[in-house]
Amino acid sequence: MIEIVGRLGRWTLRQIAAALAVSVLMVDTMVWLAVAPLRGRGFRWRSAVEHFVEFGVRSLPIVGMICFLVGVIIALQASYTLGQWGANRYIADLVAVSALRELAPLMTAVLVAGRCGSAITAEIGTMKVNEELDALEVMGLNPIKYLVAPKFLAMVTSVPSVTIIAMLIMILGGWTASVFVVGVETEIYLRQTVNAIIEKDLVIGLVKSFFFGVVICWVGVYRGFQVEGGAEGVGRLTTASVVTSIFLIVIVDLIFTVLFYYL
Amino acid sequence: MDNEHPIIDVRDLVFAYGDNVVLDRVSFSVKPGEIFVILGGSGSGKTTLLRNLVGLLHPASGSIVIGGEDFTAMSEEARTEARRKMGMCFQAAALLGSLTVADNVALPLREHTKLEESTIDIMTRIKLELVGLGGAGDLLPSELSGGMRKRAGIARAMAMDPEIIFYDEPSAGLDPIVAAGLDQLIRTMQSTFNLTSIVVTHEMESVRIIADSICVLHRGRVAGIGTFDELAKSDHPYIQQFFARQPDDAGATDEAYARSLTGID
Repeated sequence: MIEIVGRLGRWTLRQIAAALAVSVLMVDTMVWLAVAPLRGRGFRWRSAVEHFVEFGVRSLPIVGMICFLVGVIIALQASYTLGQWGANRYIADLVAVSALRELAPLMTAVLVAGRCGSAITAEIGTMKVNEELDALEVMGLNPIKYLVAPKFLAMVTSVPSVTIIAMLIMILGGWTASVFVVGVETEIYLRQTVNAIIEKDLVIGLVKSFFFGVVICWVGVYRGFQVEGGAEGVGRLTTASVVTSIFLIVIVDLIFTVLFYYL
Repeated sequence: MDNEHPIIDVRDLVFAYGDNVVLDRVSFSVKPGEIFVILGGSGSGKTTLLRNLVGLLHPASGSIVIGGEDFTAMSEEARTEARRKMGMCFQAAALLGSLTVADNVALPLREHTKLEESTIDIMTRIKLELVGLGGAGDLLPSELSGGMRKRAGIARAMAMDPEIIFYDEPSAGLDPIVAAGLDQLIRTMQSTFNLTSIVVTHEMESVRIIADSICVLHRGRVAGIGTFDELAKSDHPYIQQFFARQPDDAGATDEAYARSLTGID
């Protein structure tokens, strides 16, 4: 019994320490992102653009493909129930609303976490193992400014951008299945889609995906800085980075869904 | 700066990881323009000492005065400023793997100065030429050999024309010829630029060639400070053992060794 309580206590202390470390990281990033450029201490715009291309543009093929297929799947699954009531035209409503409010942001975030969150951890972890982070510090280059701030800006802009495209592609997937498999007319499908969605759906989706970007970046960076002891450590924490990211993405998703449910 | 005033003055430096005291009241001073070697075995705390000197680790107590300013009491911003007068070569060079050798050398110039790109280009080429890597600027660090990587690390440390340069185990993991080349380079740099050089090492051969003064560390304490010849005459048992390259159980017999393996008396 005492052992269990002891373990629980140690686990809690570790989580609190982690939360503190992440908070320090957050404040530092914000300072280097918002305050430092105003004081003329520079922001690495070039690096931010390069990372935007890496996190955003290069994620498009895989995100696009997965979201198209998910659109097809929702449409077919919806038809299974709605078809019994002769209500196949409402497939469009279901696909559009779930794509905007939920599935496009979530799928995009999960894929970007797997693709780029892991890459951030691996990059920072390898740099730590090779003393490159120390080298930056000795050269008077702050690792937060040099490495984290550009990645953060790139991540919180690229995830919502990709999400908008993912939403469109998911609706396209739903349309493809409805029109070619279920047999809904294109005109009806489009009219239903336009009528179903309101601005709020888009706003909810984008607010969520912004915070998903925040989660992916900070988890990736935090896990990277945690790396100890060589290539094995890099591998372990890269995996941990993806798992933590996806877990926190779902938690953040839940929080916002509950919040918007009452708003 | 007059030659009698020390450029680095370390007083009663104590550093500990938790309860494990790694550096215990370490004191020494370095004269401007000399090559000062910190000598010690594995686990003697010599790398920890170096990391304290460049501000990567923060001591529990004691002071590090560099160029008249207390490095330990500075604000983070002042320390960043002070670091521009220092260069450091890491044990595995620690070049940024995503940048070419030339970009690595140019990095401090690009980030800290407002020089024209063409000027930075020329300065980078000069620094690379200085360490004998004239044609290697466009290569990635992973395409270099161990010795070349260390030379590139030295070029990067020299980029901002520092007054003090720190070397962490410059000849570790290199063959004797390449290591001798690096020793020569450290000497050349020091004599050409009157560069104060702090070298952490355990290689007795390079110590003999490069050291002006030596500080021997043993289990986190200073065992002796002096020139090579002075220390060679020292009667401190550890220094004698180190200079004579004797193992720890020098007195043990083959029989005792066999007993320790088999556990039979």
